[in-house]
Amino acid sequence: MRGNRRKTTLLLLIFAAGVLCALSLTGELLAETASAADFSRKNLPPCPACPFGTDWMGRDMLARTLAGLSLSLRVGALTAAASGAVALVLGTAAAALGGWADALISWVIDLVMGVPHILLIILISLACGRGFWGVTAGVALTHWTSLARLVRGEVLQLKETPWLRMSRRLGVSRSALLRNHLLPHLLPQFLTGVILQFPHAILHEASVTFLGFGLPPEQPATGIILEESMAYLTTGRWWLALFPGLSLVLLVVLFALIGERLRLLLSPAAAQE
Amino acid sequence: MKKTIFRLFSALLAFTLLAGCRAVPPAEASQDKNSVTVVMPPTSEPEAGFDPIHGWGAGEHVHEPLIQSTLTVTNPDLTIGYDLATGMEAGEDGLTWTVTIREGVKFTDGTDLTATDVAFTYNAARDASSVTDLTMLDYAEAVDDTTVVFHLTRPFSIWPYTMATLGIVPEDTYDPATYGSSPIGSGRYKLRQWDRGQQVILEYNTDYYGDLPRMEQVTILFMEEDAAFLAVQAGQADLAYTSAPYADQTVDGFSLLSVKTVDNRGINLPTNVTSFSAVRSGNVFIGDSRMVRQAINLGIDRQAMIDNVLNGWGTPAYSVCDGLPWYSSVNEVECDREKAAALLDAAGWLPGAGGIREKEGIQAQLTIHYTAGDSVRQGLAAELANQLGELGIKANIKGVGWDTAYDDALSNPLVWGWGAHTPMELYNIYHTAPGSDSAQYSPYSNTKVDELMDAALACTDLEKSYALWQQAQEEIANDVPWVWLVNADHLYWVRNGLQVAQQKVHPHGHGWSIVNNVDQWEWNS
Repeated sequence: MRGNRRKTTLLLLIFAAGVLCALSLTGELLAETASAADFSRKNLPPCPACPFGTDWMGRDMLARTLAGLSLSLRVGALTAAASGAVALVLGTAAAALGGWADALISWVIDLVMGVPHILLIILISLACGRGFWGVTAGVALTHWTSLARLVRGEVLQLKETPWLRMSRRLGVSRSALLRNHLLPHLLPQFLTGVILQFPHAILHEASVTFLGFGLPPEQPATGIILEESMAYLTTGRWWLALFPGLSLVLLVVLFALIGERLRLLLSPAAAQE
Repeated sequence: MKKTIFRLFSALLAFTLLAGCRAVPPAEASQDKNSVTVVMPPTSEPEAGFDPIHGWGAGEHVHEPLIQSTLTVTNPDLTIGYDLATGMEAGEDGLTWTVTIREGVKFTDGTDLTATDVAFTYNAARDASSVTDLTMLDYAEAVDDTTVVFHLTRPFSIWPYTMATLGIVPEDTYDPATYGSSPIGSGRYKLRQWDRGQQVILEYNTDYYGDLPRMEQVTILFMEEDAAFLAVQAGQADLAYTSAPYADQTVDGFSLLSVKTVDNRGINLPTNVTSFSAVRSGNVFIGDSRMVRQAINLGIDRQAMIDNVLNGWGTPAYSVCDGLPWYSSVNEVECDREKAAALLDAAGWLPGAGGIREKEGIQAQLTIHYTAGDSVRQGLAAELANQLGELGIKANIKGVGWDTAYDDALSNPLVWGWGAHTPMELYNIYHTAPGSDSAQYSPYSNTKVDELMDAALACTDLEKSYALWQQAQEEIANDVPWVWLVNADHLYWVRNGLQVAQQKVHPHGHGWSIVNNVDQWEWNS
């Protein structure tokens, strides 16, 4: 049986969401195992007992990778939610209020976008005392801008559409306007935008941690794992960097995929294709 | 057509990228009989240059200044020998030191080195207050051309060890702005070239007053550990530092040299932790009783630590100064878990839920801090945590930066690295700091220890002062304010045929110590 595209997309989405849930759950359960040092099995290459090998302290790299990805997911979820909320509020405010409010918000967006992301994240993370909350704050406070600009543009455009102007003339209430006309058009763009924040957030979390400004070294974060593996690459311990790095890329690709599919599914223009 | 251009362009790009990797011309290893190329960590490059007044040769990673001469030197057994000095004597009250110096010593600019240069150097170094600790020096004066008298503010019997670190500079031409990059000394070598961030080239001083150096040129490259290993594989160096994770590798034409050290690692156990915050962080356990700290000292298997973390390259550490003349063997303990358990029982910490000991509802737990990015300290912390687990103590580990580590150590165990060629280190770690009620790096105070150490410093006879330092350690051994774990061997890749002269026990720091006697190295013919 060949399902239509809507159905396959939906299945794919459910599958991807399942993978992510399972990942964050196992990572959470494996947190203890991931930091347990066992010097009797250090530097093992991948084998049936430890499919991803072990590092110089005998820690299981599979557990570390999973725990690291789950940590990344948590940072991703928190930052996507926070930056999404900021973007929605500021974007609509700018478009709806216009005038000096619009100018001010647009100026702030330009300001934040003008500074290189990674630099700003490092500064905010340091100011917030590093660690989980430092990184989360850093990523959340730098990633709302493009989404806010998108929301502002959408709302501005919708405001001038014939049906909206007509409804307003006919005396439809503001809340009904918002509910029936604005949200359905805004939602697909917004949700896709929020989902696409994830890969950004995860990569930035990893890179900031890799540079030593993020999560503390005893936490099995992907950035920490990659940073530690650097010292052992010249002695041929390829598995320390390969599997965690590959897993990180796969996770990011998965999110990009979900975002793209979701957009196709929700967007009024593409949904019926 | 477009495609072809694109392909050509990509090929060109790939080529330039590859070529870029080779942009820095490799410093060719010295096959030449009388020169040697040595690789050190980038942290060994002296920031203030080769200026003894601003810390060259002194401080945490003490070593011989090579370009300058010192008054005294430390012998292979860490007793005191003479370099520029020909005799020294402490005054009755221990407040003056009279030192006579060699005649006929010339700086590399041709001028004579006299007692005025010595006095100038010491007074300037005191005023510069760099890493060289000269707080006990009131002033130095030249009595005649070959006699200098040091006036101290307090008795300081180990002054000869201080004199072994400070290189002498010429008073007439010394300019603090330029001296660091163009030093003039009377040592075995002179600085020929210094490319900051890359290399230092030393050339032997043909006018040297002692035996002429056999190694005529020494090139020192600064590289990270992995780059150093690659340089060895490529044959670009004759000797390069390395560490335990690399020690199981083999490189054609090179063999591994291991040097014994007092480069120790140990943890402090704050003895005064009784506050509420300490209860919450669990560390009240350490401060509870000296029996608890004795149990930790007894219950750890140092050899297992060496095997696990250092791949066997190390020796057990029982003090901050193992094997040095002022070391007391009273510190040595055998791992005895049963006795450790008995001590914990006696202190009231009894086995509770999940195998973790408890007392009055408080769990026996502590958090071992280590400095982030140091894999040896991280490994030691993890191994120590595992071993403490076997004693029924729950130990967590936490990586911190040096920006917070000193403060953390006032209430938590921290993995430290020490090891110097002077008994002053004992004083710095255990003696109650002036104007405070406990020692500098970790809360500890014992009036008996203070008295013994003060007596050791006031002693006018250096040999006799060793015994007092040893007595102080016997007192400390009872309190266990620090637990010493391992002395990490210093490992080097050495090109076959290079004879590295006998090394004295290396202090903390994996840099310049190895070239202390580079003048006596030789190539096999």
